[in-house]
Amino acid sequence: MGFGQFLAAPEIKLKVVTYRDVFQNTAQESSRFGEDYETLSAVIRLDLKDISKLSIKEGETVILRNGSGKVVVQAQKSGYEQAHPGIAYMVNSPWSNVLVPEDTGGTGVPKFKDFEVTVQSARGASVTGIKEIF
Amino acid sequence: MCTGCALLCDDIEVETEGDKVTVVHAACRKGVARMKGCSEPLECTVDAEGADMDTAIAKAASILRDAKNPLIFGHGNSSSEAQKISIGLARKTGAYIDDTSSFCQGPIVEAILQERLRTCTLDDVRHKADVIVFWGADPSNSHPRHLSRYSYFPRGKERQRGWEEDRKAITIDIRKSETAIICKDERFYQLPAGGDAEFMAALTNALSGKVPKTSFDLDSKRILGLSNIMKKAKFGAIFVGLGLVYSLEELDPLFALMDKLNEFSDFHLIPMVGQYNMRGFNHNLFAETGYINRLKFDGDSKELAHGPENSVVEVLRNKNIDAALIIGSDPLSSLPLSIARHLADIPLITIDPCNNLTTSRSAVTIPCALGGVESGGTAIRMDGVEVELKKIFDSDRLSDQEILKRITEAI
Ligand code: SF4
Repeated sequence: MGFGQFLAAPEIKLKVVTYRDVFQNTAQESSRFGEDYETLSAVIRLDLKDISKLSIKEGETVILRNGSGKVVVQAQKSGYEQAHPGIAYMVNSPWSNVLVPEDTGGTGVPKFKDFEVTVQSARGASVTGIKEIF
Repeated sequence: MCTGCALLCDDIEVETEGDKVTVVHAACRKGVARMKGCSEPLECTVDAEGADMDTAIAKAASILRDAKNPLIFGHGNSSSEAQKISIGLARKTGAYIDDTSSFCQGPIVEAILQERLRTCTLDDVRHKADVIVFWGADPSNSHPRHLSRYSYFPRGKERQRGWEEDRKAITIDIRKSETAIICKDERFYQLPAGGDAEFMAALTNALSGKVPKTSFDLDSKRILGLSNIMKKAKFGAIFVGLGLVYSLEELDPLFALMDKLNEFSDFHLIPMVGQYNMRGFNHNLFAETGYINRLKFDGDSKELAHGPENSVVEVLRNKNIDAALIIGSDPLSSLPLSIARHLADIPLITIDPCNNLTTSRSAVTIPCALGGVESGGTAIRMDGVEVELKKIFDSDRLSDQEILKRITEAI
């Protein structure tokens, strides 16, 4: 499926913060290629305002893009009581690592936890599979 | 002993049937999954075709022998004995050698080994700590039994009233993590991304009696409140998570805070190390070379090159390596794809109990025994305490120590 069809949907720029999740970690212990690992990894958690700006519903897919790569993941509400428009959360995984910039300033440490992406609805498209990532 | 994380819980009991762990008692869900083993064990292969162990080892040896600049990476899920053989192999082949600490807790472990940061054991925390700070750390997800075994809930020798009265736990983070929820709102300090150094300086100021100010307008009364709690601590412990490590450009603000705290109180710091023996690798390499990671051996001479340019990330980014041996790690998953991509262009050898993205791209895959279940050895817990891993049962898979020994002999 090409990505051209999403061009008309509104797009917004968000800062992504990554974190760890014990359920996803447990799934990883069982299998990197399993369904559970994908379901718990290929997700972006958004603020309600950003969800409405994107004209999407929770559970639909979105395409995340930046200079490092692109990946389709499922959009979910973050569930935090405090609003955080402009900031989205992703569990640390091969899906978030597609988007981590290559530039390290020579320090040997990439910016794993803090990078920007453009987000747009990918309604109808399925989540990028782990084997498609590489 | 569970090898699911660097807490290395030693109170685990298992039930087995043949060579399978069927029931695991006392571990957290991640530990149970680790001890039961993965659903996709690695096969022994050469060029994606099934091979016997001798053929795979011969091929691995010839790849490393032919390479001008090989990389040996991983080590966090290996026993100290295996790590020492790996260091010898790197020396012999003039390889770059590195581990995950290179892009996570390395600077903190290094400062502890150089005695620049004061540390203590998890047992000290359990028995004595009355003020506990989780900074950029969410143990409820990364080290699920941390709070219950050591840092918050247990009754300790000098903390008989446990968390209800005897301990204050504080969370400092950019998001309200599950650990922050446990520590309650009044003890949660939410910072903007990258605000840790500034908050640390404000807290150090507050400890010195100055008015603490931040550009993000965190209530100065709350910072003063925190500084009072920390000042009065009888035994304090700061657990440093990746959130803090990635946010600090240099460690000076942390050194200044720790020095200031120790003018009034007795504060210690422990890194929230993820992989069960990452700290062991740092200790073992440090004992041999004076460096904890990011090294390049020069084959014939005794020369060593050390620094960020020898880190796994930079040698991949700059395409400096022409072969790699990966032990118990999955860099194609854990590194940014834009950086890890180079691994797919060079001959790769992986030693691991399980299939992962890196093994799927490897010229040689060698299955090894699962540490703490099918093989034993020693390891170093996140707090620097050495522990012994006991093998639970024999399996037909060799330990990574044995595989590395055979590869070294074959070269
Ligand atoms: S906390 Fe870590 S060591 Fe303890 S049982 Fe869980 S995964 Fe294993």
